Amino acid sequence: MMVDWFYNEYLQHLLESLVDPKKRVSFGYLIFAAMIGLAWSAFMSRNSWRNGFSQGLRKLFGKRVLFSRSARADYKILLLNHGFLLLITPFILSKVALTTSLFFLLHEVLPSGSAYFSSIPFWTVSVIYTLFLFVLDDFSRYIVHAALHRIPFLWAFHKIHHSAETLSPFTVYRTHPIEAVIFTFRGIIVQSSCIALFVFIFGEKVDLVTIYGVNVLLFIFNLSGSNLRHSHIPISYGRALERIFVSPAQHQIHHSIKRCHHDKNFGAALAVWDYLFGSLHLSEKNMHLTFGIKNRSKMRSHNLATLYIHPFVEAFREIKVLFRKHEEIKKDIINVT
Amino acid sequence: MCLSKLSLANLLSVGLLAIASLMLSISAQAGEKVYGKFPVTLKGYSGSKTNSVSYTGQIARHVLHDSLKKLAAKGNGKPNPKLKSLMMSYYSGKDAGRAIIAPKTKGSFVVKQTLVDQISKNKNLSGKTYKGTISGMPNNMTGPELVTFWIDKASSANKGVDSRNGYNYPQLISKFIMGSVFYNQAVDNYLDEKLSATKKPNNKPYKKGAAYTGKEHSWDEAFGYYGVPAHGLSFSGKQLYLIAKQKPEGFSIADFNGDGKIDLYKEMMFAPAYYAASYDKSNKTSYGMNISNAFLDGRRLITSANGEILSDSQRSQLRKYAAIIEKNWQMTLAESVFKYAGSVYKDLKKINASMADEKDKTKKAEKAYIKHWGELKGFSLSLQTGRTKLGGDTAVRLNRLIGFGPVMPNSSQVVDIDSNGNYVKDQSSGIEEYMLHMLKVQKLMIDKFNVKARKNDQLASLDQMIEKLGDSSSAEND
Ligand SMILES: [Zn+2]
Ligand SMILES: [Zn+2]
Repeated sequence: MMVDWFYNEYLQHLLESLVDPKKRVSFGYLIFAAMIGLAWSAFMSRNSWRNGFSQGLRKLFGKRVLFSRSARADYKILLLNHGFLLLITPFILSKVALTTSLFFLLHEVLPSGSAYFSSIPFWTVSVIYTLFLFVLDDFSRYIVHAALHRIPFLWAFHKIHHSAETLSPFTVYRTHPIEAVIFTFRGIIVQSSCIALFVFIFGEKVDLVTIYGVNVLLFIFNLSGSNLRHSHIPISYGRALERIFVSPAQHQIHHSIKRCHHDKNFGAALAVWDYLFGSLHLSEKNMHLTFGIKNRSKMRSHNLATLYIHPFVEAFREIKVLFRKHEEIKKDIINVT
Repeated sequence: MCLSKLSLANLLSVGLLAIASLMLSISAQAGEKVYGKFPVTLKGYSGSKTNSVSYTGQIARHVLHDSLKKLAAKGNGKPNPKLKSLMMSYYSGKDAGRAIIAPKTKGSFVVKQTLVDQISKNKNLSGKTYKGTISGMPNNMTGPELVTFWIDKASSANKGVDSRNGYNYPQLISKFIMGSVFYNQAVDNYLDEKLSATKKPNNKPYKKGAAYTGKEHSWDEAFGYYGVPAHGLSFSGKQLYLIAKQKPEGFSIADFNGDGKIDLYKEMMFAPAYYAASYDKSNKTSYGMNISNAFLDGRRLITSANGEILSDSQRSQLRKYAAIIEKNWQMTLAESVFKYAGSVYKDLKKINASMADEKDKTKKAEKAYIKHWGELKGFSLSLQTGRTKLGGDTAVRLNRLIGFGPVMPNSSQVVDIDSNGNYVKDQSSGIEEYMLHMLKVQKLMIDKFNVKARKNDQLASLDQMIEKLGDSSSAEND
């Protein structure tokens, strides 16, 4: 049974996801990212372009990047999490159920929408829907990411991602299973509410603008080298554009160990959220970043057991602290009165 | 010379023999999926009949139903006792000489019979209508009481439609009879009680002097209620549809014996089979094929018992065929509820969208709405007349969602019927709320029956969009 599951479910799903244009780390996007990364290195090099090119090669494919202890942990986590997600998916809230209930709820609270928008052409609806979905998806990522940093017992779990000391595209999967559950819920909630709302308002006119079956905006985002954010190539977009889109360099700053870089650049694709909420940090010339987490915490390990289990210990401790604070406040109030 | 002549004759006879045997094998092949004829297996039968199949009474009732539906649309908006008694003669009368009002000859689609008696005498619908109380309507009426109530209303309505209260009586009557007579009689009587060991045994005639055994005839009666042409068991949904709609292309398919006329008894499609075919046309379902095959397999099994009492294992196999028929028949009713809930939703959307100054458009939309609501209500009540009566909860929800009448554009809705048979109306929570009910009806049919044809699916856009976005499980960090 286990063997069956491994071949028919696990392995098949894993291989499929490697060529699935809906996934960020898939074959086509990786090739594009590599080309962009190498071109950037060659073009921006202070010495000859040849020099820059080979430097780029080292930064992308060097042994110290691809086979560091940190990277090896990335791969193991990827493989473990993949199985974990496959196993829990059936138990997670179903998107169909949520979408239908939301759709019904909308009918209950609002007068039926579709009738009033019957004159809007099909393509306009599709464009609005595609854009809305992308923006809402991105915004929700920002909120969740900021929460993972700012709320101590969530930070305990997000630390596993920041414990990476070398960055490769696969670092994107360096995620604690608890985070994976949160991310999955986020996706379901955002997509369900978008679909329910748009079908409620526009009825059968709703369609997604796609390329190769993927939201066209997501496709562009991924094709333009989104994978390089987890790499050692500091591509920047310039001061103006970095207020709108998150450049690879900006996300690398997010991973930086420096004090002044902490809790900056939570954004996924759009930087506007960071700009609006004051967590933006533009890239600078000649940054020499060190990645990882600073304190001598246990999470500086690349040992899988530690990375998976220790967050629970820390989270538990944080929750206890919260309780104690609560108790103290209560006491203070009693003392005052 | 002589020799060659002889050999020529030989050759000819051999050739003829070959052709004849080929033709025989072809007709045998075509005959494979024909319901009948089946031999007389009854021990000690001394009559002259060689075919034990008979379901003329059922076809007569189909014709009575089709005719009654036509009559229900004949009113002129004023009380009309004559029309009422005419309708009643088709519903509960047994009078001789009743003309077939439908199906009639239509262009080149020539129908053989013109009188109900030419098919079967002394038949009515009321005696075979489900006698339990109909909980989806007020006042605990029985099946026959409800039909009689509707006939009375229809006789004084304009073309059978009460546009103030939102009732289309031809549709209500017809769709309700499809369940409370045909479906109920087949699955709750002939394919249920009469398959038991003690009732209608296979070693005795169904009734004194008959050429068929108890089990043979019980099975045949159920088959008759389904209403598919005897030779149409292997026809596609599309072909059956052409016959039901009396299309010129349908005629050549239907006229099995090639006499240039359609014999209503053996060569015509009637309502239950028609609806099964209409869903199968989408190729998403095979309700009709499943039902037809199960009927044929069951009949062959009974014939193979050769007039002996059926063994327990034979009966349990027969029960399995009966279960297939019941399930698939029920599915066609659930699909119909699904389909018309979708129609009603769409009609309401149109009514909502049409402007105050577009009177014609609004009128047209309202007319369609009332018609579709009648079909929805009729089918939803039919669905509750099966052997299991649909299990309490589903029936209760279905009846609450649909209500006793449609929500009219001014938000009024029939909520009761007083003791004089007058409708009692009240303000409902409005059209929008009612549209939501229709979506919930569709959802209920998906959840409880897993309907597959899903015509007029109002939830389809949701499913398609969900499909497009792919699965959401993700370990992608930022
Ligand atoms: Zn990161
Ligand atoms: Zn982070």
